[in-house]
Amino acid sequence: MAYSEYWNPKNEKLSREELQALQLLKLRRMCEWAYATTPYHRRKFDAAGFKPEQLKSLDDIRRIPFMTREEWMDSLLEKPLFGDILATDPKNAIRYHLTSGTTGRTPLRVLDSMKDWDWISEMWCYGLWGFGIRPEDIVYFAFGYGSFIGFWGAHYACEKMGALVIPGGAQTTDARIHQIIEMGVTTVCSTPTYALHLWQKARERGIDLAKESKVNKVILSGEPAGSIPAVKHQLEEAWGAKCGDTAGMTEIGTIMIFECSHQSGGTHIIEDHFIEEVLNPANDEPVGYDELGERVVSSFGRGFIPLIRYRTKDMVMKVPASTCSCGRTWDLYSGGIRGRWDDMKMIRGTNVYPRAVEAIIREYVAIDEFQIYIWRKDDIQDEITIKLEIKPGHEVEWVVLQHKLAKDLANAHEGLRFNIERVDYGILPHFELKAKRLVDVRPVAQY
Amino acid sequence: MSTTDTDLLGKALTEQERELLDAYEALKKLAAQEDLPPCAARNVRRALMSMWQATNDLDLQFEQLYEFGV
Repeated sequence: MAYSEYWNPKNEKLSREELQALQLLKLRRMCEWAYATTPYHRRKFDAAGFKPEQLKSLDDIRRIPFMTREEWMDSLLEKPLFGDILATDPKNAIRYHLTSGTTGRTPLRVLDSMKDWDWISEMWCYGLWGFGIRPEDIVYFAFGYGSFIGFWGAHYACEKMGALVIPGGAQTTDARIHQIIEMGVTTVCSTPTYALHLWQKARERGIDLAKESKVNKVILSGEPAGSIPAVKHQLEEAWGAKCGDTAGMTEIGTIMIFECSHQSGGTHIIEDHFIEEVLNPANDEPVGYDELGERVVSSFGRGFIPLIRYRTKDMVMKVPASTCSCGRTWDLYSGGIRGRWDDMKMIRGTNVYPRAVEAIIREYVAIDEFQIYIWRKDDIQDEITIKLEIKPGHEVEWVVLQHKLAKDLANAHEGLRFNIERVDYGILPHFELKAKRLVDVRPVAQY
Repeated sequence: MSTTDTDLLGKALTEQERELLDAYEALKKLAAQEDLPPCAARNVRRALMSMWQATNDLDLQFEQLYEFGV
């Protein structure tokens, strides 16, 4: 059977004028919905003097106040569990997910209705179909299936597309390698770090995945490395497969960009479901093509929690659709998500905010000084180690403390494993003024 | 059945789009019925959830469905 190259040929090839007309219509309706149903948005719109009917052209988007993660967190703290950001009754939800917070133990909590949850997989369909996944594919998910949203949407997208889905779940790495080969898996979904780890472990056991598996596509998400040329090249050689980058965020529930099968070096923006502005973070003015800026996203999907002009702090560079030969009219981010404008760190797909880590560490009176040390193990796996000094007189607490601290940090970060290392008292730098407790020694990505 | 002849961009509906939109509207009518047995009520909602994606992707509608619990 001959398939269309596009999941949605109508919209993936819309003219720029039609696309913008569609975006304006959806933006206005989403703002009307948010204003009518969500105290959070009504308060912000009123404070900014913005009314949805002021949206006469896409340029008017600048009248809409920004939404920030910090404000969202504040709303959650003031009104647990979800703040005043829900547009409908929680009883309409069928899904709950969360992501690590910015300030300690409070995560960002999200709810989705049936329709919203299916929309999340729909966005993955755009990306997975665009990279060449078809009903004949056998797709393996190297994913833990927890409350971290991760590849959940991709899993259901593959079911929807008619592919055979193999959920990896809590399998060991060895079991995963075995199943990938035994089942004739053609596509693996993984973080870049874990895809390299799988390959390395297979090699240690004398297995050449490029030769002994049928994998011809690896879908990457959760870390920027999927668009870093050196990492992508390494992965493609290792697996003997094409590697396609995607990127999303829990705040929108899904991916908003994907690399298509033409692999132009960028990731297409799903422009019929999102408006992606790129702004100069210093003055909030839009930047042009080929300039680095901050992603600001407005989503037309999840109506449960309207996300309008949300500042992501992601560093991106937009390039025109013509950069890619696939025929889509959707612009791209050259090099995917290139980094951050703030201090957030991405460790094995999990967001880590140094100030959130510090808030948890400071609950332990036995700890004097500490350092958050981020490093890369065997040139493959990102690791985070908390180096700490125990206050004199509290040494006896160390044994219990190290386990409890590791557990508290993991619980606040989607189960991420933190290494806890005690160093002799006086080894770490002690600060009197501006503290610098974060040390990231990972190599800097080259684009 | 739907009363519109155009999509959200004002383009005339194709025959196929008309059929999709009619199916979507029919599911909404069914979902509004309060006396459907659970096996029908819940599966109609699943079907409506799916048809929302198709008709939304094709710019035939852009609306929320929370009044149906969808």
